[in-house]
Amino acid sequence: VYQVFESVAKKYDVMNDSMTLGIHRVWKDILMHKMNPSPGTLLLDVAGGTGDIAFRFINYVRSVRERQLQRKLKHQQNLSWQEIFESYQKDKFNSLGDSQVVVCDINREMLKVGKQKAQHLGYSEGLSWVLGNAEELPFDDDKFDVYTIAFGIRNVTRIDLALQEAYRVLKPGGRFLCLEFSHVSNPLLSRLYDLYSFQVIPVLGEVIAGDWKSYQYLVESIRRFPPQEELKAMIEDAGFFKVHYENLNFGIVAIHSGFKL
Amino acid sequence: VRCQHYPPLRALQASAALRRASDEHKKEPWTSSSQQHFDSPPAGHQPEQEPQGPRPSYTGQGGQESEDYESEEQLQHRILTAALEFVPEHGWTAEAIAEGAKTLGLSVAAAGMFHSDGSELILHFVAECNTKLSELLEKEQKLVQLGEAEKKPIDEFLRHAVEARLRMLIPYIEKWPQALSVLLLPRNIPSSLNLLTSMIDDIWHYAGDQSTDFNWYTRRAVLTGIYNTTELVMMQDSSPDFEDTWRFLENRVADAMAMSSTASQVQSTGEAVVQGLMGAAVTVSN
Repeated sequence: VYQVFESVAKKYDVMNDSMTLGIHRVWKDILMHKMNPSPGTLLLDVAGGTGDIAFRFINYVRSVRERQLQRKLKHQQNLSWQEIFESYQKDKFNSLGDSQVVVCDINREMLKVGKQKAQHLGYSEGLSWVLGNAEELPFDDDKFDVYTIAFGIRNVTRIDLALQEAYRVLKPGGRFLCLEFSHVSNPLLSRLYDLYSFQVIPVLGEVIAGDWKSYQYLVESIRRFPPQEELKAMIEDAGFFKVHYENLNFGIVAIHSGFKL
Repeated sequence: VRCQHYPPLRALQASAALRRASDEHKKEPWTSSSQQHFDSPPAGHQPEQEPQGPRPSYTGQGGQESEDYESEEQLQHRILTAALEFVPEHGWTAEAIAEGAKTLGLSVAAAGMFHSDGSELILHFVAECNTKLSELLEKEQKLVQLGEAEKKPIDEFLRHAVEARLRMLIPYIEKWPQALSVLLLPRNIPSSLNLLTSMIDDIWHYAGDQSTDFNWYTRRAVLTGIYNTTELVMMQDSSPDFEDTWRFLENRVADAMAMSSTASQVQSTGEAVVQGLMGAAVTVSN
């Protein structure tokens, strides 16, 4: 797994866009909407190498926080000029509302790309980058509000261990969210999808990233991954409650959600 | 495709931890002496000792009934109750629910269990108010039965019941219009309609069988109309202690009463007319 992503790291984002025709951005946005984080949330994004989820989280929380502050200001009537002046100073109000995201990945290269991206896009506060293995997270118990793993869990050798670790590091009431390729039940779509996956994607891999094998591996790992119901049962076994899943695009991708209650 | 699944019984870890924590912090003993653990909202009052009625389906599967056990529904119930105190500040939103979860020691992410528009919070609140109203009317009925209080005439009773129910909205009145609009969303209409009709039925039940010449459907419709219009008037009433609203209510109830007597008048007049015609017909035929 490590070697696959070492070679893939730099071209990861480009490949994602070309393989999924850009829809992966929509999927990740939907995930963020589902999470609906409020300011002050502590997020752990596992296998989040290049930081897609982390950046979206920061954007989301920032806009929620802005709305909150606007509402607060509206309520305060009879503001003196001094107060109005102060309210325009953004430093006074924590623009992220103490929200933080920790990006954890097993692969140093992916983290490096992520850090560069963050610098390039101007994300400075609220981000941390940690090297770690999903099956054995380097964090204490009961630490995080939300744990996400987007397109990462299928690369984990022992999924049950990863789920157990997720359960461990989440606070009581915390939420587990998993975005992953899943099983398409519609037969017609399934045939088209298979065609696309096995014929087109490895070719794209060769052309864009110069790497046929990694993308062959990718497509095969998607097929081997447990379908929605099975993954749901595994999540419940790890101890999560209220486990639901939502199919996106007829099951090409599914979001699983569970709570540590 | 969403999938609902009711897992086999398992003690909820969070509630176990919370209970232990609250044992240390609360002044009153939290662990009830009865074997069946009654879960009441963590306010300052004494938890009632009566065992709750049939629990939700979870208990039926013969699972461990340890003192720490609490079903998901009960936990959700507690979170929503705790969230109510944040409604005046945050409105009927997921934020209020998140704050409520925080006070219970849970992560803010627990608000994700509910819909992001706060529907469940509002429905929960309405259900709670209806329950409170039933209890109030029940108590008063007992007093009447024991002879300690006078039985109110029907119009006064209706006014009293509707006023009592609407007064429960007062702490949340600023954000209530928002709540009303959410209740009217197609998704919520079955539940909100259900709650409304059961409340109206309740009021009529306690009003007793007084001869009003209304049949059952008319009674329901009339009172629903009175309640809804009064609620709307209350939304934009700025008089001290909502005097204008209560006066509006009085007038509507009086209208309803007049309508019933008018209806019976019309009926008796109609009968008289028919009898007159019959008499004329007989006379003519002779």
